[in-house]
Amino acid sequence: MSMRDVKVCLLGESGVGKSSIVMRFVADKFKQALESTIGASFMTKTILVDENTYKFQIWDTAGQEKYRALAPMYYRGSSAAIIVYDVTREASFLAVKGWVNELQRHGPSRIVLAIAGNKCDLEDLREVREKDAQEYAKEIGAIFCETSAMTSVNVAELFQAIARLLPPEDATDSLDQQRGGSNIKLRNNRSNRGRCCGGGPAAGDDGGGLQASRRSQRGTSYPS
Amino acid sequence: MDDPSQNQTHNHINGNGDWPHTMNQIFNEDESHFKSNAILPWDQFSNWIHCACVVTFDLELGQAMELIYPGHIKLTDKEKMNICYLSFPDSNSGCMGDTQFHFRIRQCPGKRPLSRSHSQYNKDCPVSLQLDDAHYYGFVYFRQTKDRTVRRGYFQKSVVLITKLPCVALFNQVISIIAPEYFDNGEPSLEAACHDIDQWPSPVPGDTLNLPIMGTVLQVRVPCRSDKLIGSVQSKSETLHSLPVHTVLPSLHEVDIYSAFLSILPHVQLLWELVLIGEPIVVMASSPTTTCLTVQALVNMIAPLKFCSDFRPYFTIHDSEFKEYTTKTQAPPPVILGVTNPFFAKTLQHWPHIIRIGDMGSIGGSPKLSNKVKKAAALKTLDSNPGVYTRYKSFLTKDKMILKRLMKGAQLKRPVEAQNAILRRHLLELTQSFMIPLERYMASLMPLQRNISPYKGPPKLRPFDSEKFLESVEHSGPQLTSGIKGDWESLYRRFFRSPNFEGWYHQRQREVNQKLQILHLEALSNANLSEWIADKEEVEIVDLILKIKDKLSFAMHHHHIVGKESVSRLQKQLEDIVLTLPHDLQSVIKT
Repeated sequence: MSMRDVKVCLLGESGVGKSSIVMRFVADKFKQALESTIGASFMTKTILVDENTYKFQIWDTAGQEKYRALAPMYYRGSSAAIIVYDVTREASFLAVKGWVNELQRHGPSRIVLAIAGNKCDLEDLREVREKDAQEYAKEIGAIFCETSAMTSVNVAELFQAIARLLPPEDATDSLDQQRGGSNIKLRNNRSNRGRCCGGGPAAGDDGGGLQASRRSQRGTSYPS
Repeated sequence: MDDPSQNQTHNHINGNGDWPHTMNQIFNEDESHFKSNAILPWDQFSNWIHCACVVTFDLELGQAMELIYPGHIKLTDKEKMNICYLSFPDSNSGCMGDTQFHFRIRQCPGKRPLSRSHSQYNKDCPVSLQLDDAHYYGFVYFRQTKDRTVRRGYFQKSVVLITKLPCVALFNQVISIIAPEYFDNGEPSLEAACHDIDQWPSPVPGDTLNLPIMGTVLQVRVPCRSDKLIGSVQSKSETLHSLPVHTVLPSLHEVDIYSAFLSILPHVQLLWELVLIGEPIVVMASSPTTTCLTVQALVNMIAPLKFCSDFRPYFTIHDSEFKEYTTKTQAPPPVILGVTNPFFAKTLQHWPHIIRIGDMGSIGGSPKLSNKVKKAAALKTLDSNPGVYTRYKSFLTKDKMILKRLMKGAQLKRPVEAQNAILRRHLLELTQSFMIPLERYMASLMPLQRNISPYKGPPKLRPFDSEKFLESVEHSGPQLTSGIKGDWESLYRRFFRSPNFEGWYHQRQREVNQKLQILHLEALSNANLSEWIADKEEVEIVDLILKIKDKLSFAMHHHHIVGKESVSRLQKQLEDIVLTLPHDLQSVIKT
């Protein structure tokens, strides 16, 4: 069985919960009021999705404005980017669009985009409607879900959805033999995509279901 | 298969050292089993780097320290001054664009000793890679560009990493990632880089490390003293799956010695002799990048032997050791200097061995070789032709085979990496042929196992007798493992007077005495001490108790090499003996 390295970066405004999502995913922990990240933090986590192993190399970037110019280092070479906003802060959702624009313009051409509305446990403070975010994600062909690092809703599912949506590894890659196998599997995954990512709420969730629409802009460019 | 909840997840927190130190801090209260012991911020950082500096050119002040990061790091004024001067090219040839090089400076005395992590590293890494408490390395990335907004029209700045670790290949790579980002984005990028380094796992010899830095991951193995030197094939399987986001560094510390010596290849063996016996050597070139590569290659030549004298990959007239090293009132010191300033052609004219390297432009092409060794007097200025200027006559005859092999490789356009590996291996075999007889003789100085008595002090290594050793060279010398002929005996005699021999001998002596201590401790723990004390005076028993306590404290300091069982046996013995003493004496002993 092959192991696939996946570089993924988390982007988004300061305080939306990027580090908390990563901590929940990597260590299954939660801590109130994490200190703010300097530059970026790096972590890895290996998961098995549909019999394929994925080693996520996670670059959790700092949201503070002074680090904004460093972002290209982290999304450069990334297979996926998770753009996080806080459902209780409208401004953080507006910032998502800025990130999407930047990634579309300067990011890797086949990067998988995911938008995560975090803190969905704080229903009474909500400022961003799930429907609005979902529609926007659909429009740009991004994976979408609402997450809660605190209650762990949708955190693991988010990374699993990314794993399923990864395009086959580059054919010019030197690992021809190993990849031969994974290519076939990934093709199977694509035919399942509707069910894994687009169908209803993920098991055990009460909140936002995990949604991903077919990538409207770039999805068709996958080699068949 | 589609239900996400059925997916297994493998959590790698405890297993493979993936765990970052920041998170570790967060969970420290309840998760004590995490690998890293670092508690304070910057602990992990200082395992690798002392600090990062930015040095700028100020029109009024000249070179000036603009920034030291992290801010709490202290450097003395002398250290700062040396760093400032050494972070800029010293020659007139304007280095436009980006220039990378490194330097080595003395650390000002009076600092705290090596950290625990560094002592541990020193114990297990190859001797030639040990860090020493007296020196810092500085890895420089200098940028000079036209900038109309600045008076005089030039932007000139360097980013420098100050560290004690001689990991030349790694830090050259790291600074080449950090510095351009700094020039584009300023201080936050330096902050981010240092924060990344603060998450690095400790440099544990034998470990293959993943080192995240600014959005990429460098993978490198830290060599270990017990590594097999010849014929070792590093398993590549573990690096196979990590292609897209990893850069795999082939070595932590090695430089490309083939490229370094390309223009003086016929003299490589002569240079090996000079380095081995610790002769003063100066390397002159027009760029600090070239002098660094060459000096580092010279020092690396005698691996696994440690080069024990001082060496300065890049040395300038502003260096605080300038006077000490260039004085004409004494013989030149046994150091290797790399210089670019034409001024040195005169200042160091009296030096016995001068290597002049031309521009490195022609790497990959067929090398133009200067075959003849030149008299040092022929060197008047830095514009002289590339070559080795010396009166030294080699003790060993030149191995023409290796030269032919390399020349043929160059003609066939064999990759530089392969040429480098061939040359490196040749030098390693040469050094080992030289050292094996010494190692064998050293082993014969060990006392016999049966001379280790629990009731006497541990036996000592017998003294080294160079004449006795040289007698053994006649029948079991380097000729057994090397085809190279020549006057090995005289080479040994010169070697015995060099710091390299002294360093090697002390290292071996320390190791052997430690080994004897351990054997003695084991003998003591296995002896029937209660029987022995039966007919002894109280004072002799107290003496024995003190001896055992001594041993136990030795065991505490060397817990990684002393068997736990012997220690607990000895502990038990001690308790039993103490109990045989009168009560008042017992309480005195226990305190």
